[in-house]
Amino acid sequence: MNKKLLILPAIIFSSILLVFFYLLIIDRDPSGIPSALINKKIPKFETKSLLTEETFISSDLFNNEITLVNFFATWCKPCRDEHDNIKKLSNEGGLKIIGINYKDNNEKAIKWLKELGNPYTSVGIDKNGSIAIDWGVYGIPETFVVDSSGIIKYRHVGPITNKIYNKINMIVIAIK
Amino acid sequence: MIKKVFIFVLFFVITQNYYFNSYAVEPEEILTNKKQEILARKISKNIRCMVCQNESIDASSAPLAKDLRILIRNKIQEGKNSEEIYKFLTDRYGDFILLKPPLKIITFPLWFLPFFILIISIIYVFWLNKKSKKT
Amino acid sequence: MINIIGNFSLWLALCFSAFQFLNSLKKNNNSLIYLNKIAVNGLLICTLISFFSLMYGHIVSDFSLANVFQNSHTTKPLLYKISGVWGNHEGSMLLWILILNIFNYFIFKLYNEKNLRFVSKILETQALIIFGFILFTAITSNPFELMQELNENGLGFNPILQDPALAIHPPLLYVGYVGFSAAFSISLAALTLEDNSIPWHTYMKPFVLAAWTFLTIGITFGSIWAYYELGWGGWWFWDPVENASFMPWLLGTALIHSLITVERKGILQSWVLLLSILAFLLSVIGTFLVRSGILTSVHTFALDPSRGIYILIFTAILASYSLFLFGLKLKKNPTNNYLSFFSKEGSILFNNILMVTVCFSVFLGTIYPLLIEAFTNNKISVGEPYYNATVIPIIIPAIIVMGVGPILSWGGVNKSKLFKKVFPAILSTLIMTFLTFMFYQSYSFVGLIGISLAFWIISNNIIMWFKKKEKLSIGMIISHLGVGFLILGITGSSVWQQEKIIKMKLKNEVKIKNYNIVFEEIDEIKGSNYLALRGNFYVYNEKRKLITILQPENRYYPITNNFTTEAAIDTNLIRDLYIVIGNGNINEGWTVRLYHNPLVMWIWFGAIVIFIGGIISTNNNLKKMKSLRK
Repeated sequence: MNKKLLILPAIIFSSILLVFFYLLIIDRDPSGIPSALINKKIPKFETKSLLTEETFISSDLFNNEITLVNFFATWCKPCRDEHDNIKKLSNEGGLKIIGINYKDNNEKAIKWLKELGNPYTSVGIDKNGSIAIDWGVYGIPETFVVDSSGIIKYRHVGPITNKIYNKINMIVIAIK
Repeated sequence: MIKKVFIFVLFFVITQNYYFNSYAVEPEEILTNKKQEILARKISKNIRCMVCQNESIDASSAPLAKDLRILIRNKIQEGKNSEEIYKFLTDRYGDFILLKPPLKIITFPLWFLPFFILIISIIYVFWLNKKSKKT
Repeated sequence: MINIIGNFSLWLALCFSAFQFLNSLKKNNNSLIYLNKIAVNGLLICTLISFFSLMYGHIVSDFSLANVFQNSHTTKPLLYKISGVWGNHEGSMLLWILILNIFNYFIFKLYNEKNLRFVSKILETQALIIFGFILFTAITSNPFELMQELNENGLGFNPILQDPALAIHPPLLYVGYVGFSAAFSISLAALTLEDNSIPWHTYMKPFVLAAWTFLTIGITFGSIWAYYELGWGGWWFWDPVENASFMPWLLGTALIHSLITVERKGILQSWVLLLSILAFLLSVIGTFLVRSGILTSVHTFALDPSRGIYILIFTAILASYSLFLFGLKLKKNPTNNYLSFFSKEGSILFNNILMVTVCFSVFLGTIYPLLIEAFTNNKISVGEPYYNATVIPIIIPAIIVMGVGPILSWGGVNKSKLFKKVFPAILSTLIMTFLTFMFYQSYSFVGLIGISLAFWIISNNIIMWFKKKEKLSIGMIISHLGVGFLILGITGSSVWQQEKIIKMKLKNEVKIKNYNIVFEEIDEIKGSNYLALRGNFYVYNEKRKLITILQPENRYYPITNNFTTEAAIDTNLIRDLYIVIGNGNINEGWTVRLYHNPLVMWIWFGAIVIFIGGIISTNNNLKKMKSLRK
């Protein structure tokens, strides 16, 4: 009886070590948090539009095509870094991208887009960050991939690097 | 035996109730209704600051932490209870935002194994003791 | 030049450790000691050279060394240039290795005519551990890498890390971890031993005591730094790396107590052997969690999965080797010992079960998010609420038994006699608890439990001290007293804390507890490497007498573009007055946070008293060991 019991700590230990080993070899970001909104419908919201006079209503914007949603701000350096890739997604990828301007100054944002180029079909203003909270945003820039029926399929936290650019393209192809 | 369990459960319940100092709450955030403020602190102590390492929103000066503190207080003033507020937050941020892991099937081992180990070791020692008493 | 010396001596040390390991294959006893003497001394000298080469590089700010460039700066004060050596991953590994080899030397000094094979076996296992650590450091984390280009100055520093408590914290902790490696090696030697005459527990006890004592003070200094520096008033966060130091401490506590039963009654031997293996394995897993990049924490060093894989393999080798050996070589001790709960051995066993359970909770809580992540797509957090809910209820019975344990006799007691013995302590506890609540004028159930537990321990131990029984170890009484003080401090500061968070303009006054605090003035000051906004708060007691002037600061460090807040704290045995100044301006006033934390000083005082008790016990046990070996 006793001898068998003694193998138990060894087995438990090795299983735990195996789990650690697995976690080390896969490609993961130890600080990244999966979105709670994956495979859920997009949060409804209504706000002012940055560039036009119209009101910005979520239900009008997402109609039967794959859409990207990008939370950005002029005071956020990684947002500036990823801007070229966002433009690429819009121009070369032909993707519809909606921008949400997070806790920003309207004039500065309009100027920023004018100078750097505007990849967004429309931009909504999130002055106090409540839209971001509804989307579970915690660290801008954040980009969401929404399919044609308004279901969120993927979320990336942080700037869209070249690697992530490719990943998003693959995801878009997969959900078509 | 039942008495032991009861006392144990009592300890569980009792060690949950505290009033906490906050080192990040701003003066304008503090609610005038003391009971509401205590509830806000209690909830905040359980909400993780998503951009910090292992801190609650009550201890973090990050902007998102502040937004969430204000959001929680607004909801309390609207009359929502802590369950509704937790649900609101986990719907958006997932279970990760709770510092106290919720009791779900996947967290059963987390919550019950320590207690289980304690019981098993006590039983094992009693059994060994009984065995040696026979000899 | 320095890097060549440092690197070469490191690799040479690796050779010496392999040499020491292979020595055990020698059958000839005489040459064995001689060869091990060469190995042990060689190892010590090489690692000393290597370590001090790195330190030299830091002191003279040799920025050709990558380690110096990344972690140092010419404006750093000398003390922090020195402590900067171990304030980074590579340097701290070198410190680990140095302390491993110092302990290796102490183990070598254990040799006498009777214990040749035993000590050689200990040295063999120790050599394996040293080899693994040096190999890891030399290959994946070499401190002597050169920069491609020479920079004029380094990447600076983090100003909040420049603190004396933080400087001493890692070396103390590492003495703890490495001490457990010695216990580990002794355990494996005892398992393979055929000779029952060698009292392995007598050898093990001083090492375990030393390890536990230094782990205690190391953890304490980390907490002291956190409380005084970070401005959150917290001193323990259940961060994974903190837990990694707490788990060996818990098992160490269990070990200290069960080693006594092995000594006096010869029971629980196999249990102690297993515990000492687990204590060190947990230390190594702690090293893994900190340095592998598997999780993020305020404490983790640079993230690098390849390092993690190496440490994991090393842990797996150590774990399988030791646990396999344990299972194989375990002798069936005749279990003819009946343990009464109301006996010293019963209370020690109870303590062990509880310590191991708490350790298990902490371990489970720490790795559970990783397990969830591996098996599902989700991430969860396991934070303070979990640990409070699982650890506190188990510590409480442990503390209750701790009050009574030392006065129980071996084999069992007469319960009515026991009650008579303990009655004065019960009375004293009730009186002191009542008085405390009268003083603080607030009732709290948690406070009640905490305060009565604290006074229970304090009363029992003061009574034991005055009864002056020679059988009772003075080190134990002091350490147990320390625990009582610690609980007093933790309870008081958690349960009766008060805050005032307000906007204050100049000349405004605020009242907290029975203190009046006036915001007299604000000035701009210049420090050695920072600029600061400093508030001057005059603290008056209820008799309008000026007690102190608190000067919290908001600092800006231009070199690293860092902002920090420096809390101003007035400490005495009764309470801490803690003040932090936030944002604001002359027109609207500044955000001022004022905290009244009772009994905080007792936390540090208690921990230091535990440390002193540990030192006394370690010393006594060393003497015992030396006399036994003659």
